[in-house]
Amino acid sequence: MNRFNTLMLRNILYFVCLLSCSVCAQEIDTESVIGASTQEDNKLWEGAKKAWRDDIQFHGFLSQGLFSTSGNNVYGKSKNSVSAGLTEIGLNISYRALKNLSFAAQGLYRRAGATTGDAGEVTLDFGFVDLNLLNLQEGRIGVRGGRIKNPWGLYNETRDVAFTHPTIILPLTYFERSRTLMLATNGGQLYADYNTSLGNLSFKFNYGWVNADDKNILTAITYDPTASGHLKSKPSFATQLNYEMMGGTYIFALSYADLSMSYQAKNSGDPYAQMKANIEAFMVSGQYNGETFSFVGEYSLRWSEFTDIRLGVADTSPVSEYWYVQAGYRFVDDFQATLRYDSAVQNINDKSGQVFHEKTGLPAQLTFTHDITFGLRWDITPVWMIRAEYHRVHGATTINLLDNPDFSKIVKNWNIYALQVAFRF
Amino acid sequence: MIVHFINKNTAQKQQRKSMILLCIVLLLNAGVLNAAEVIVSANVVGQLKDTHKLQAIFSLRTLYWPNGEKIKVFVLPDNSAVHKEFVKEKLGMFPHQLRRTWNRMTYTGTGQPPITVDSVAEMLDKIQHTDNAIGYIDRRVEDESIHYFNAP
Repeated sequence: MNRFNTLMLRNILYFVCLLSCSVCAQEIDTESVIGASTQEDNKLWEGAKKAWRDDIQFHGFLSQGLFSTSGNNVYGKSKNSVSAGLTEIGLNISYRALKNLSFAAQGLYRRAGATTGDAGEVTLDFGFVDLNLLNLQEGRIGVRGGRIKNPWGLYNETRDVAFTHPTIILPLTYFERSRTLMLATNGGQLYADYNTSLGNLSFKFNYGWVNADDKNILTAITYDPTASGHLKSKPSFATQLNYEMMGGTYIFALSYADLSMSYQAKNSGDPYAQMKANIEAFMVSGQYNGETFSFVGEYSLRWSEFTDIRLGVADTSPVSEYWYVQAGYRFVDDFQATLRYDSAVQNINDKSGQVFHEKTGLPAQLTFTHDITFGLRWDITPVWMIRAEYHRVHGATTINLLDNPDFSKIVKNWNIYALQVAFRF
Repeated sequence: MIVHFINKNTAQKQQRKSMILLCIVLLLNAGVLNAAEVIVSANVVGQLKDTHKLQAIFSLRTLYWPNGEKIKVFVLPDNSAVHKEFVKEKLGMFPHQLRRTWNRMTYTGTGQPPITVDSVAEMLDKIQHTDNAIGYIDRRVEDESIHYFNAP
């Protein structure tokens, strides 16, 4: 509890610092046009304009989550306790150097339970050069090189920015374990947008190396937390075709990813030395964003292939299925409720996990999760938001195995209560 | 006498009805007078007139004026009544749809969102003193220094 207090104090301090910067952005002035500017104001403004570079912009975000659960841990030790285990702070800069050349980079500080440890991790979230090859009224074509976010479903690209997704804990298909793997590509992206009177088409194709070095995925393949090596990416790709109609009232997306990786042994006797993994996945997404109602549905299938895991362990090639349907209602512009039914099945040929249990002796609930979520969100100002949610969970396939190291104690039916405060600029 | 009373009563009712109608008409007109108006910098007057293009400009799909200069977009905060009205009436969108598009670009590094100003007065000042800019104000004011998007 002491550690929790210290962390909370630290985070409150961050908020206060940021609050002082943002006060000016929160007041709404409906002042009339008449008598708006005087000659003196003009001089002042002219002076300020010289010092202001309008081709460089800075933006950022910050969020802090609180979790309390029964049964299993979420983002730290939340079981029958309270964990302040999810902190996300991002700061980015973008620079339009030339009409068709720009640069952008974002640093991310993230503290997410046992995955990052108590101190958290700082990473380069994205950092790339963008060369616009063709720019017309009807659309544009260009390439980006560096570290680029992966287009995957509706939320992956901005999954760490609390403001951009409807609930504190993302739908199961975006579960923590595959976050690192799906997050970004070190390589290149080809992008193309085409605007018509019927809607706007947007295409992205990322090719390069993803970040496979995540203990979470390794543990999920081997169920052996003592494996000492790490997974390394081989050339992979992620692509998305997105179609938006009526200014974003209807959004449809088709995403596909093909990710390959191999195990890099630390020492010569490592039993996993020959292990290879390949994941192919697609996702269909649909969204309706009305004035008061919103509906979202996403369906995803993942074909995984784990080969030469270690001597005596058979190769496996499970097909996983994820889907959810979600409804949102805005009582007023700044206050909304969200209800979601979410399902994840590790192996569609063993939906109840019975075969898995018989083979490994581990709990069957490690192979499925069904989750009913209810959340409320209040956008206090355009830059501050607070939300709360409740999850009734059946199964545990999407839990973080590092936060729940004793697999035999993983519980089948459990609850999550969560609260989050977020700031953006 | 009774007939006269009834007639008087009906006449009064009709008078009241027409007063209410007049009030509604006046209110509607006041609404029209106070509708948000899109304004541009002096150097880009008449460059684009098609209001269908407004959605593309504010959604950052159209980035350049026909003269090749980068469009500088200014907006009021999301919770401003003028912003809400502008987005609905002039863009045919809802503020949360526009915010989603801007956030996506901002936090993936793929675009720069519009500059947010705090008041209509600041908006007017920015548009008048910045080249290649576009924004909006709460109502139409006849002033030589204010240039409207749909100017002849």
